[in-house]
Amino acid sequence: MVNATKGLFISCDIPMAQFIINLNASLPALQKFIIHVIDSTHLFVQPHVSEMIRSAISDFRDQNSYEKPN
Amino acid sequence: MDMVASLPAMKLDRLYANPFICQAILRSLPPLAKKYVLEMLYIDGPVSAKMLEEWVLADGSSKHRIALDRLIQLRIFTETVDRKKETSYRLNPTFQINLRKHLIDREVLPREPMPSNIVARLPSLEELEAYALGQWECFLLQLINSTQAEKLTNFSSSMMKVFQRGLLSQREKEASRLTESGFQFLLMDTNAQLWYIIREYISNSEERDIDPADLISFLLELSFHITGEAYNMNTLTEIQRHMIKDLADLGLIKLQQGRKESWFIPTKLATNLSVSLTDSSSRKQGFVVVETNFRLYAYSSSKLHCEILRLFSRIEYQLPNLFVGAITKESLYNAFENGITAEQIISFLQQNAHPRVAERIPSVPENVADQIRLWESDLNRVEMTPAHLYDEFPSRDVFEAACDFAREWCGLLWEDSKKMRMVLIYQDLPEDPTGRFHDFKQFVESNFDVFKWIGLLIILAQGSCILLAMVLRALGQNHGSNYDSDDEYPPARLPLINHNLQPPSFVVGDPHFPPKNDAWNVRIHSQP
Repeated sequence: MVNATKGLFISCDIPMAQFIINLNASLPALQKFIIHVIDSTHLFVQPHVSEMIRSAISDFRDQNSYEKPN
Repeated sequence: MDMVASLPAMKLDRLYANPFICQAILRSLPPLAKKYVLEMLYIDGPVSAKMLEEWVLADGSSKHRIALDRLIQLRIFTETVDRKKETSYRLNPTFQINLRKHLIDREVLPREPMPSNIVARLPSLEELEAYALGQWECFLLQLINSTQAEKLTNFSSSMMKVFQRGLLSQREKEASRLTESGFQFLLMDTNAQLWYIIREYISNSEERDIDPADLISFLLELSFHITGEAYNMNTLTEIQRHMIKDLADLGLIKLQQGRKESWFIPTKLATNLSVSLTDSSSRKQGFVVVETNFRLYAYSSSKLHCEILRLFSRIEYQLPNLFVGAITKESLYNAFENGITAEQIISFLQQNAHPRVAERIPSVPENVADQIRLWESDLNRVEMTPAHLYDEFPSRDVFEAACDFAREWCGLLWEDSKKMRMVLIYQDLPEDPTGRFHDFKQFVESNFDVFKWIGLLIILAQGSCILLAMVLRALGQNHGSNYDSDDEYPPARLPLINHNLQPPSFVVGDPHFPPKNDAWNVRIHSQP
């Protein structure tokens, strides 16, 4: 019989996909959220992690910026 | 002009009785629509739709459709379908007559400029323009609640709240912040901003018992007056006098008072009201120079410009007539968080480009524009969609059929034919194409009380039925002890029909009674 799994479908560019896979690998086994790596630009993850992924990406982005002190 | 289109039919016909309004609306139409109106101006009968389509080349058919829709929306064209199912169009008769009159006669305004011996101190055109800009800026600064507004306009606070309705979010204890549309409003050009404010003003006028049609007609009439000429106040009606004070605060009109009379002078802002939107000759002088090293130099002393530039650039220096800033990633991220898009920033910089760089194409350097767009797309690198993954299909045919079905409903996100897996967009229930389920749901929700009581009733009835059944069952088991107990036992169950019955003979004679059932007799007779 057909199996239906509920989750979040992520489509992004290759560096971001690697970033998310790395994030997944750094979490303990209970909290791993990737259900399936579809190809180099698409992932299928558990539904509740969208906010966590977004905040991780914006932290990564902020580490890259430098603001000149006034 | 959408406001005009949204007026009811009767008011629209009354508006078209004024030749200035007809001309103003003509100016605001798209170019193809203007051409159609002018061609049909002297044709009295209906023109079939096919003939209209022949006037257009093949690749202009979308513009043709847009023009026709606009004309029908403004009720300038009336569409009739005759018996052969052919559509034809006719120009609105009131509109037609007035426009013809306007073409032939001289433009006669309802009021004349006052002679110069009474009007002593007319301001020059530059002074007038400075006054208008000053008033408009003051109004805008007050609108965005800036603490830098020097003097307050005479608008009552309830009017200001109306204007601020879409632009500011008012929260109880915090200071009010600009919303996304507020930021976009600031970056629009002056004409668009003016029309937005006037639209709010007119839609609010109904609450103050002023007919919006009168307001619109007065505003459009005002746009045909000559800038810089004085017009006497006593040519205005009551309603128009009320409006004049508000318009003076916005900078559309300057009021002046002489010894005996008072007059008003329309400024450039007023006469530009009816300029068609494709006409860009009303561009005011720009002040921003953007350099390839992401530096911004704004030659302006206006506080409003300073505020706007602060929205998306980091201020480096501010001199009395010069503002120096830098466009940085952080300042742009700030702007993007507030809801401004990269396109708005770039078009603002292009529209306000300083005359020295305005002739250069492009007026904003390409690397700056591209980088702004790249930084914006950097914020949206990942796209997430809630979805379902389906795998382990029993056979390839089922998989293919499911794929096709999903493609039809545009729900297929990804499929893998080799491993027979696919991902579909998450949906609660399958869509109901007839919509009846939705209607049913709404009906139940609207009569929820009734349905609640009906539900309760049904449950109670079922409960009581169950109880009754239980009681009866219990009663049935006791039925032995409920009889009057004599020493006799009730007779054993006897057959209902006695097999010893003789078939009755159909002879007329003494009626044969079938032999009586003895058991009953025994009982009766043995009673003492």
